Amino acid sequence: MMLQDGSTQLLCLTASSGVPLFTRGASRQLPFSVIGSLNGVHMFGGGQGVVLSCCETEGGGKVVWRVFQESVMLIAVSGGGPGGAGSSSKEEEARLQRLLENVWNCMVLVLGQDELANMRNVERIKRDLRSCFSLIDQLLEERHEGFLGNLTHCADSLLPPNPTLVQEAVDGFAQAADSEFGCLLVHGRIAAATEKWWRLAPQEVVLLSVLMRSLSASGSASCDYPVFLPHGSPTVAHRLLRFHLLPGADVCVLCGPTPSLHRAESGLVGRFWSPLVETLRDCLAVGERCLPASISLRPDMLALLLINRETRRSVSCVRAPTNHPLSGPPLLSKARCWELLKLFYSFSMTRYFSQEETLCVSPEERTQKGNTEDFVLGFTHQPLQCYLVTEECKSFGLQTAQHQLFLVTPPSVPTFALRTAATQTLSDIVTATGF
Amino acid sequence: MADVRPPAPGSVLVSDWHRCKESKEFFNKILHKKMRKNFGLLESPVMPPQVAVDTVHYKIFISGKSGVGKTALAARLAGLSIPNLHYETTGIETSVVYWPVKLKDSGRVLFFRLQLWDCGENALRRFDHLLPSCKEQVDAVLFLFSFTDRTSFDDLSNQIAKWMVPPVSPVVKLVVGTKFDLFMHCDVAERDVKLFQERWRLPLLRVGGEVGDGLGDIAPVLNCLAEQLWHQDCVTAGSAGIHTQETETLL
Repeated sequence: MMLQDGSTQLLCLTASSGVPLFTRGASRQLPFSVIGSLNGVHMFGGGQGVVLSCCETEGGGKVVWRVFQESVMLIAVSGGGPGGAGSSSKEEEARLQRLLENVWNCMVLVLGQDELANMRNVERIKRDLRSCFSLIDQLLEERHEGFLGNLTHCADSLLPPNPTLVQEAVDGFAQAADSEFGCLLVHGRIAAATEKWWRLAPQEVVLLSVLMRSLSASGSASCDYPVFLPHGSPTVAHRLLRFHLLPGADVCVLCGPTPSLHRAESGLVGRFWSPLVETLRDCLAVGERCLPASISLRPDMLALLLINRETRRSVSCVRAPTNHPLSGPPLLSKARCWELLKLFYSFSMTRYFSQEETLCVSPEERTQKGNTEDFVLGFTHQPLQCYLVTEECKSFGLQTAQHQLFLVTPPSVPTFALRTAATQTLSDIVTATGF
Repeated sequence: MADVRPPAPGSVLVSDWHRCKESKEFFNKILHKKMRKNFGLLESPVMPPQVAVDTVHYKIFISGKSGVGKTALAARLAGLSIPNLHYETTGIETSVVYWPVKLKDSGRVLFFRLQLWDCGENALRRFDHLLPSCKEQVDAVLFLFSFTDRTSFDDLSNQIAKWMVPPVSPVVKLVVGTKFDLFMHCDVAERDVKLFQERWRLPLLRVGGEVGDGLGDIAPVLNCLAEQLWHQDCVTAGSAGIHTQETETLL
């Protein structure tokens, strides 16, 4: 059965000597001897020409290893909760692999690749790594409802009611700040971004959104953060300037040495954004639904995730289920709906649909991908639709050349109606917004 | 240019004005449901047209060793939620505080817009461009030390000296001791604090612990800062030959 999100612990060691650099997550840390053994068994495999990447314990726990730049070893350990064992191991492995990749990208984002790849002074790197904890903890907690980017590597987006106006403002603002990379976040989701922003690696777009969300949540007015781009610029830092326009609306640009934060804030923010206050408020009104009010969604839908495979963007929403006074079974909570949507996405992606090739894939990962592809080929065709019926809900997924759609409905919806519901939802949204 | 001697507390602004009844309508503008209101950059407190109030802008840099509580102080002054875990600030983060004050002599009410600039010490060390950016057009510096960390106190003189060297334009300097409530772990003796104050003659404030929902715990810091800033402006304006009403009443 689909499993509850258990707690995950992350270990980081030097790859060459196994010196622990940090551990995060889970309130009870693993004993040092266990950490040593986990590293040891991986090293032993290495000596025999075997790459150990994943294993499962009897209790349904999972351990995933990965070495980055031959310098940093990351290990993720997830405890199998009650009833955690069983068929969900595949999804769990995929989740942990993603987690390690995201954590590494996070470390590069803050410290740059050079410092991580050439560790000269272990004590210094330990101290410097502390700067990454805020972001890493955020990745580990994953309690941030409504954001699936870490999992899908597609940018969580919001479709504003007036896309042209905000697009022009973002373009103009970025240009005035001597930058080609600008992005407007509304409720933590990308409402508009410059063309170049979309050309960043998908992981970078997602990671920058995570960073922006954490900065925005602190309530600060503006920021000047040095960031390395894990794929685009892993050794030279750029400056991420972020401005808190209205509560819930943040704009950012990636730029070089100029302009200074002070100058950009006093000279550009008001000039470009003051005339758009009302437009921004309209965007904020879209809220967690992510779609303009003009699009009506079927009433019997609990959760939806729509991915544009080409642009690597996604919109997702969960409908707060309204309780019928007379209805029998208790309705699912919002949090559970998000969880079910995530699990169904992982289920479909690990079994049927193909994941878009992400940039910079490691050799180990490529072998893994190859295996999945072999499996998919075993069908003699590429599955286009899939569904899953459980006691809690029914789910339907479909993919076209351009899109992937994942839908969760209450069990009361007849199974034969799922396909129609999904095709209709897809065409409704795409026709209305051009997404 | 010689540094401006700090004015005596309460000589420029009405102290404890937030407790007066007449200040209610002004303080209400920075509150929302009894909590502090978070303003976006495109927003500001708006008074009805018949009570037009000027807003004066200032940039304040928070300086201090890693872990003394720079981010926590900024969050507290700005009425933001204080992080319950210590995370390093890996770049510059600014927060904006609106604070209404009443000038003692003229009775004029002003909104101070204080933008606090907070930057992690490690980030400052790793990236050369951050400090100049913090110093650009800065009006005041808050030197922080923690009562629980002796080295942060010992380092103060070094830090302050760096800001005394000309041609740095005059900046208001204020010393803030954080974590004053953790007296069990206090590492800085009152005697040392007194000696320090005699040597530098800078206002020194103590903060810590009590996180009330009210304005009472932050008012002393913000009033002291606003008073110094206003005084400095008046002196600067006076020496440049621009006589405004306020400078005349002050000088």
